Formats: sequence, structure tokens, C-alpha cells
Amino acid sequence: MKLLLVEDEEALRLTLVDSLRQGGYVVEVAATFAQAYEKVRLYQYDCVLVDLTLPDGDGLDIVRTLKADGSAAGVLVLTARDGLDDRVRGLDLGADDYLTKPFHLSELNARLRALLRRRQFQGQHHIVFRDLLVWPELAEVYVRGEPLTLTRKEYDLLLYFLANPGRLLTKEAVAEHLCGDQIDAADSFDFIYTHMKNLRKKLQEKGADGYIRTIYGVGYKLATEDAR
Amino acid sequence: MKLLTATTRYYLGLTLGLFALASLLLYAGFDWALRHEVEELLYNRQLHVQQQVARGLALPDPAYADNLDRSFQPLPLGYSDTLLLDPVEQEMVPHRQLTFRLQPVSAASAPEWVTVRKSLVETEDVLAVVVGVLGVVLALLLGGVVALNHWFSQRLWLPFRQTLVALRGYDLQHHRALGLPASSIDEFRELNQALNMLSERLVRDYESLRQFTENAAHETQTPLAIIQAKLEQLLQAPALQEDEQLATVLGDALGGAQRLSRLHQALTLLTRLENHQFAPTQAVPVALDQLLRERITLLEPLLEARGILLAWRVDSPPPALTMHAGLADSLLQNLLHNAIKHNHSGGRVDVQLTSRFLEISNTGPAIKGDPTQFFERFRKQNAASTSPGLGLSIAQHICAYYGFSITYAFTEAESRHLLRVQFA
Repeated sequence: MKLLLVEDEEALRLTLVDSLRQGGYVVEVAATFAQAYEKVRLYQYDCVLVDLTLPDGDGLDIVRTLKADGSAAGVLVLTARDGLDDRVRGLDLGADDYLTKPFHLSELNARLRALLRRRQFQGQHHIVFRDLLVWPELAEVYVRGEPLTLTRKEYDLLLYFLANPGRLLTKEAVAEHLCGDQIDAADSFDFIYTHMKNLRKKLQEKGADGYIRTIYGVGYKLATEDAR
Repeated sequence: MKLLTATTRYYLGLTLGLFALASLLLYAGFDWALRHEVEELLYNRQLHVQQQVARGLALPDPAYADNLDRSFQPLPLGYSDTLLLDPVEQEMVPHRQLTFRLQPVSAASAPEWVTVRKSLVETEDVLAVVVGVLGVVLALLLGGVVALNHWFSQRLWLPFRQTLVALRGYDLQHHRALGLPASSIDEFRELNQALNMLSERLVRDYESLRQFTENAAHETQTPLAIIQAKLEQLLQAPALQEDEQLATVLGDALGGAQRLSRLHQALTLLTRLENHQFAPTQAVPVALDQLLRERITLLEPLLEARGILLAWRVDSPPPALTMHAGLADSLLQNLLHNAIKHNHSGGRVDVQLTSRFLEISNTGPAIKGDPTQFFERFRKQNAASTSPGLGLSIAQHICAYYGFSITYAFTEAESRHLLRVQFA
């Protein structure tokens, strides 16, 4: 998977590149509008991550260029602006998704996964993780060949974890992912526990025990190998 | 009291006082002059009578001579006033009389006292005419003052009134100075100049404050994003995940950064609302019922975890609103979050949407304090809460932006909080 990251802020760019490369992506970067423009005209990418506020131009123009060229690349808009209107404009112009800064890296991974999955209809479509097999198009999950019945939220949660294998996901990140927005009402994150408990119980019943580990006081992690 | 009324009062008082004094003086003057005239006339008659007698002519007979009396009894000499009966008019008429002693022509004849009189009726008539004329002039003058003031208040004070109207309708959020016109009257011109300068300075200050807020908001999000991303990366370090204490410390730092960022976004939104930075062109027809459904679906996990029952209904037709989609969403989000946040576990939230209003009521403990203050910024029920307490303030600002009214009510019996948004 080849990505182009357009971000002018160096510190953020480096962190994002690190995180994305860990996720197994091939990442190219552009720090300015000019660089980004040149790259999207010359090369093909699976997905372009665009920051809207660039020192020498408007990130939305990159989106426009991509769409005008009929590019197959997915577009994920990153915005430091208080989204509201840019959000709408970006999606109107053909961006596939947006994230408002600051965002969780885990959320970026999940969005990117979902976006790439939606965009690519050729080739294999399933996710394999240890004993798990997931068919995202069908929303079906199997543990060692046995079907696993999950609620929509539990399934959503599982996909989110699968997009971030081995990563520590904070409670806040999980809560935001579940409730779709910045949830200041959830001063306590009770509601994650319920869903986590149920998901774990179901996995455990099918013999996928200890997949999701609790990191006390911080969050959760999908263990890539058996800890025992 | 109007300034004009006040000046008119003083003016009238002074005029009336002066007039009364002038009238008195005039009356006394005329009276004195007329009497003097009468006395002179009487004296002339005295001389005439005396000359006639000295020449040996007979005195006119009182029976035929008008206003002449003769007496052989001594009478007080000099001028005096008396009332005499006018035989024609049959009424008492004031007279001025002069009594003098006639020097007897011969020693044989007895001394004689003669009184000559003059009626004062004519002089009184003259006085009446004078005072009457003065009264009419006074009335005309007073009427003139009132009329002139009326005209003044309409014409001369017009610039002042215009300034007042402009000041009353002045709104700093329009980012415009007052721009009052220059008046031909010095005082008003100076007033308008001073006000213009004041408003220009206000607009400048306001603008720089706004710019600062905007820049601060924008510039802060990026470092915050970096902090958050770096902390998250740091959390991935394997060594850290084994160290519970350190992980907690990092997790707390991350949580703090997120709170700050959330607070920032909320404040930025408020600022943008106050500055009217949502262009009318971005307003679109919004299906509030659909948005409501989406919002409630998103909140389901939260409701479940708290054991809160949310019942909602949409009475058709749903409201036909034209507003910014993001703001409509934010309004619903903030109201719903509020209803969940200030609830107790096992409580209820009831939502009703009609074409004219949106009503969200929730159970929850009574809140101390003035309900009108609930919409203020940073108003928290629980000081320890991590929420910045901007939700209702944002909701109120969005309502004000579109001319909706938002009201809060609390029913003691059911311990229920009710927020109602009335669409225009």
C-alpha cells in the first residue's frame, strides 16, 4: 500500500510517518503544496492524506486536482481548522473521509483501513489475525472456522482493534471511535467496559482467549502473540 | 424631563415674573400720571375760579355748574378722593376733588370754601385698556415660546435624536464604526465626532481581539496534535506497557492534551458564532429528524452503560429549517449530551421534535443557582468534572444565531429538567 502524506508540520509529519510505516504502509511525504501537487500529478497512490492548511496553498486544491485527474486514490483530509465547514466542503469535493486535528493515531489507522477496503474491490478481502478470520464485506467473523456472532458495536470494535494490532489504544480513543465524536459527556468510560467485556467473552467462548489485553489505567491492546 | 421642557419652564417662569413686575410698574406709573393730570386740571380750575372771583364775577351756580360745590362751612383743604352718585348711571363713581378757600372780595362777605371735582372713570378705562393690551401681548408671547420650542425640538434636536437611534442600534459584532454625520451645530458635531472615534477604537480593539482568538485557536491545534501523536507513539513503547505506573502517567498526560483540544474547539466554535463567521451561503435545508436519529444511535452505548432510557418521537411534519449542517449537528449533540450528563443512572431522557419546537427533558438532581446562568460559559455542576461546561453555551449561541429561543425549566415534583428550543 502506497500512501502520500501531505503535512507541513514537521514534528507531526515524522510521527505520522513512523506510525504509518509501523502499520506496514509505504509512505511518501510532501511538506508543501508544490511538492504535493507535483507528486500527485506524477505518481499513483492508494491513498493521499492531505492537511488542509499548507503554507503555500489550500489542501482542498490537491483534492480537486486528484478528482479532476480521475485518480483512483482514496483521499483522507486532515484538518487543523475547526472542521465544520471545511469538512462539508472536503467531502463535497470528493474526499473520502476527514479527521480533525488532533486525532488518535489508532483512529487514523482504522479510518485508513476502512477507506482502502472500500476503495479496492479486487483481490482478497478478508483479514486474518491469529485464529481470527474476518470478511468485512459480509461482516462475518470466524474463529478457527467457527462463526462468531457479534453485535454491530462489538464488530465495529473488533475491526478497530484489527486495524491496530499490537498498538495500545487509549480508553478515550476507543470511546471516540465508538461514539463517533468527541465525547465529553463520557466523563467515565463505563460504556466501553460493557462492550469490551462482551466482546472478550464471546472471543473467549470460541477459544480466542487473551486476544485483547487491558493495560491498566490507560487502555487496551490487541495482542499479536499469546502472552502465556 | 426633556431638556426643552426644562428650558421652557425656566423661560416661562422668568417671563411671567418680569411681566407681573412690569405690569405693576406700568399700572402704578399710569395711575400716577393720570392722577397727576387730573390734579393739574383741578388746580387750573381753582385758578380760573379764583381769577373770576377776583375780577368780581359771580361764581357759577353749583346747581348748573358741573362738579363744583360751594360751602360756607370750613372744609379740609387740598386733594382728596371721594365717591359720588352719578344720577344718570345710578352708581357710585370715584372722583378726585380739590377744596380751596375763596378769599372774600369784601370784608362783609363771609369766607367761602369751593370744591372742584373730576370723575376718575375715564382714567380707569385707560388703565383697563393698557392692562388688557399687555395681557394679550403676554399670552401671544407665551404661545410663541411654546410653538418655538416645539419647532426647536423637531428641527434643532433632530441630529441628537439620530445619534441616539444610531447608538441604540449599534452592534459591535457588525464590525463597523458608527459613522455619524457631521451636524451644523457645534455641540452635536463634537458629540458625533467623539462617538465616532469611540466606536472606531472599539471596532479596532474588537477586531484585534478576534484576530488573536482566531490565530490562537488555529496555532494551538497543531502543537496539540503533535503532543497527542507523540504521546500516543510513546505509549507504544514495549517497556512502557510493562510499567503500569509510567503508562498511567502518560495516559493522564494524553487525557489532558485531549481535554485541552476539546476545550479549544468548543471555544473556537463559540468565537466563530459570535463573529458571525458562518456564511449564509452555507446554510442548507436540514432534516433535523434524521440528524436526531443518527445522533441518538451514536449515543446508544453511552445510554446503555448508564442505564438511561431514551424515548423520542418526531411529530410530522418535521421542522423545515435552513441552517449550517454542522451547527445543527452540534446543537443536537450538545443538548443530548447535556441530558445524559446531568442524569442519574436508571434515569430517563425524553425527546420530542415537532415542526415548531424541539424539547429535551431528562431526570436528574435539582441544580442550585440561577437557571439563566446555566447558559453561561464554564458553568459546571460539578467542579471536578472534566467537561469544560461549554455545551449549553454553544447550544444557546447556535439558537441565537438562527433566531431560535431556548428556555430551561425544572419541575420539582418529577425532578425533571426541560430544555426547549422554539424555532423562530
